[in-house]
Amino acid sequence: MTGPALFMTPERRLDGTDKISGATKYTGDIEFPGALEAAFVRSPYPHARIRSVDAVRARALPGVRAVITGADVGGARLGRRLQDWPVLCWDEVLFVGDRVAAVAADSRAIAEEAVRLIDVDYEELPALLDMEAALRPDAPALHPESASYRFLEGRGPRPSGPHPNHQGYVSESHGGDVDAAFAGAVRVFEHEFTTPRIHQLALEPHAAVVWIVGDRVHVVSTNKAPFTLRDQMAASLGLEPGRIVVDNGPIGGDFGGKGLSTDEYVLYFLARVTGKPVRAITRMADELTAMNPRHASRIRLRTGVDATGRIVAHESHATFDGGAYAAGKPTPRLMVEGGVQTLEGYRVPASRHEAAVVYTNHVPGGHMRAPGQPQNVFASESHLDIIARELGISPLELRRRNLAHSGDPVTSGGPWHGPDLHALLDRAATEIDADRKRGPGRGVGFAIGVRHVGTGSTTITLRLDRDGRIEVTTGVGEQGGGQHTLIQRIVAATLAVDPARVSVRRLDTDSPKDPGIGGSRVTPVHGGAARAAAEALREKLGGRAIADAAATLLEPIEVSVKYDATAADHGACAHAMEVAVDAETGAVRVLEAVVVVDVGQVINPVGLRGQLEGGFVYGLGMALTEDLAVEHGRIRASNLGDYKLPTIADVPPLRIVHLNDGHGVGPYGARSSGELVNPGVPAVLANAVADASGARVHTLPITAERVWTALQAKN
Amino acid sequence: MSDHSIRFRLNGAVVERVVPAERLLLDLLRSDLGKTGTKDGCSIGVCGLCTVQVDGAPMSACLLLATQIDGAAITTVEGLASADGPSELQEAFIAEGGFQCGICTSGQLVAAAALLEARPDATAAEVSDWMMGNLCRCTGYYGIARAIASARPR
Repeated sequence: MTGPALFMTPERRLDGTDKISGATKYTGDIEFPGALEAAFVRSPYPHARIRSVDAVRARALPGVRAVITGADVGGARLGRRLQDWPVLCWDEVLFVGDRVAAVAADSRAIAEEAVRLIDVDYEELPALLDMEAALRPDAPALHPESASYRFLEGRGPRPSGPHPNHQGYVSESHGGDVDAAFAGAVRVFEHEFTTPRIHQLALEPHAAVVWIVGDRVHVVSTNKAPFTLRDQMAASLGLEPGRIVVDNGPIGGDFGGKGLSTDEYVLYFLARVTGKPVRAITRMADELTAMNPRHASRIRLRTGVDATGRIVAHESHATFDGGAYAAGKPTPRLMVEGGVQTLEGYRVPASRHEAAVVYTNHVPGGHMRAPGQPQNVFASESHLDIIARELGISPLELRRRNLAHSGDPVTSGGPWHGPDLHALLDRAATEIDADRKRGPGRGVGFAIGVRHVGTGSTTITLRLDRDGRIEVTTGVGEQGGGQHTLIQRIVAATLAVDPARVSVRRLDTDSPKDPGIGGSRVTPVHGGAARAAAEALREKLGGRAIADAAATLLEPIEVSVKYDATAADHGACAHAMEVAVDAETGAVRVLEAVVVVDVGQVINPVGLRGQLEGGFVYGLGMALTEDLAVEHGRIRASNLGDYKLPTIADVPPLRIVHLNDGHGVGPYGARSSGELVNPGVPAVLANAVADASGARVHTLPITAERVWTALQAKN
Repeated sequence: MSDHSIRFRLNGAVVERVVPAERLLLDLLRSDLGKTGTKDGCSIGVCGLCTVQVDGAPMSACLLLATQIDGAAITTVEGLASADGPSELQEAFIAEGGFQCGICTSGQLVAAAALLEARPDATAAEVSDWMMGNLCRCTGYYGIARAIASARPR
């Protein structure tokens, strides 16, 4: 099977055999003889001054090789864009879980015992635990020295907001005079929605090993963007980037969380002091309480419609709890960008958007699968549903009247460019049998999901051996999405060879720069590079068949292509869901879910199905159970018993339907899929619950208690 | 802390060790015996990453002391394949998309293999019930359910 027809056949993952046999070596599985283990002292207070750190007893513990504190890191701060997070705190701690000291010891048990022997004397300070309070004119600046922090430029200058407690602040409008547009509306609706912080929860915790040989710093890390980690470490630690080499093995789940690394910086100092490799594997309790979860949000939407229910004006005010540091956000605007353009995918002639990420004394927010977007879509699609009911129009019909056609003005400012949204919604309505009368307590909801197709640049190298085998080298890793298998199949299809002849090898950061995994990037960028490299090889061979050309080679030939994916595009999906709501208890049961997607050409059918199904359940957890609730600045769920992920027994029947408008901009017309499905799930569930019971829930997760309360309010 | 001699079967082979009383089975497997196929996720017996079979029953290795498996037969993911290669269940996990990142896969396979042995005719609901203790964040479980269904003896 060769050529694009190859994409019709299910792939056998390159990492398949190792993963089913337990042979895959994740970062925490690699043996480093002589390596020390690290553990950290963390703040129990949301905001406190460190008066002193007494490590005498810890240093005396047999097996302890080093104890370092904030005084030992030379003022180093870490971060992906703004480096505002102390590697170890030296004067103040800004959230529960902030690190104050670190131990390297012969074993993890000894290191953790030593941590318990370190006495930190704190003076507790008033904490900013509320976004609104943090933005009051008289609120103290959480980072008074902020002007001195390093900002890693490259994609624009450092952003600023009207309040010193703004991490990121965006204010933009599209389509002319928004106030005039509102003045022309027949009716104007305003609603507010809130979502809690939730956790990426890759089941593999963050892990890293650092050692120093001569003047080279070696890092093995679960970070999904090793080149950018290298650059961030170099800036933070004052080292030339070339002195650091970052390697990473297979990553045991990412969902955005593996974009931020914090331990590697501390391990550098511990490795320098001890002269040995030092390893840290994050405990699940620390993952849950101290590692960059999805931002909690409060989103207020206001929309004006004409007499027929068509949107004439729209504005949004979104506030995101950024926590103590902006370090987890890689975006130039320090914004969770998916939260800015509300009502995405709808025709909106005039819109205004204000979005703020705010410093508080909570755990720092980070990136999680479509950052900002699920919060936005929950608010936007709930808002539309309420408007439809107020207008006496069916929610389906209101969407049909307002969904963008190609070229329509949308809230991102540009004309809509992407899949046929009407076709997706119509198909979802048909699949769920929208017109069917349902019994009491049952109802159907809809939601639209839109996600950009990523852009960026990478280099891929192909080497053809005389035996006809092709080795691909790339800087991108494998975090479960099937990245390497995607590259393999695109090369094989382009060159019309059996994929079994194509192998893929990942290189460390001593190779051409790669942007890493994220931002719905891999299919268009790495897939596009794979195709370009394969075409370059074919050209170099004068168009001859690979096997024929290989046989005549005297030595292997290599082509290396740097590819820049720039084309703007979107993936899109329409959700439909039927639920049953128990009027006595408020309990929600999902009877059936349908997701109609346009992800363009399918490359890996098995992997794609996993991304879409997995994305659905990822969204279902956010919709129904996941809540990293905070009490006095402290996250209450510090284990997987308290933080409730969906189990196999919680997943409903799910039908995925593919449409393809044939205009995908990725290789062979592919689009991205990984961040497409999860954002719409809380919204479709909220809308189905309202349809079934009349209960409108404005806050996630949609627990039985919240539904019950909404039912009581209604009756 | 006292030391204890234990003797058990690991994937069919006899293992004899002297272990401190507080040694967890998970650490014995991973650190002492180099069987890193068994993973450490939540460390409190909730996530299922460290599932091993103890005399055929799936259990969390993070909750067992090494001394508790004295005399038992332990099966880890490394013991699921035969000389002929991976089992039908293992291959089904590849074909049906039973994993993506793979970090939970060892535990899923060990639990599912125990299910197929104990209840080969399990219904879909019974499969869900049995597998509920094995979390997966990638697949949404659909691929895992398909893989188990397709590997059931017919």
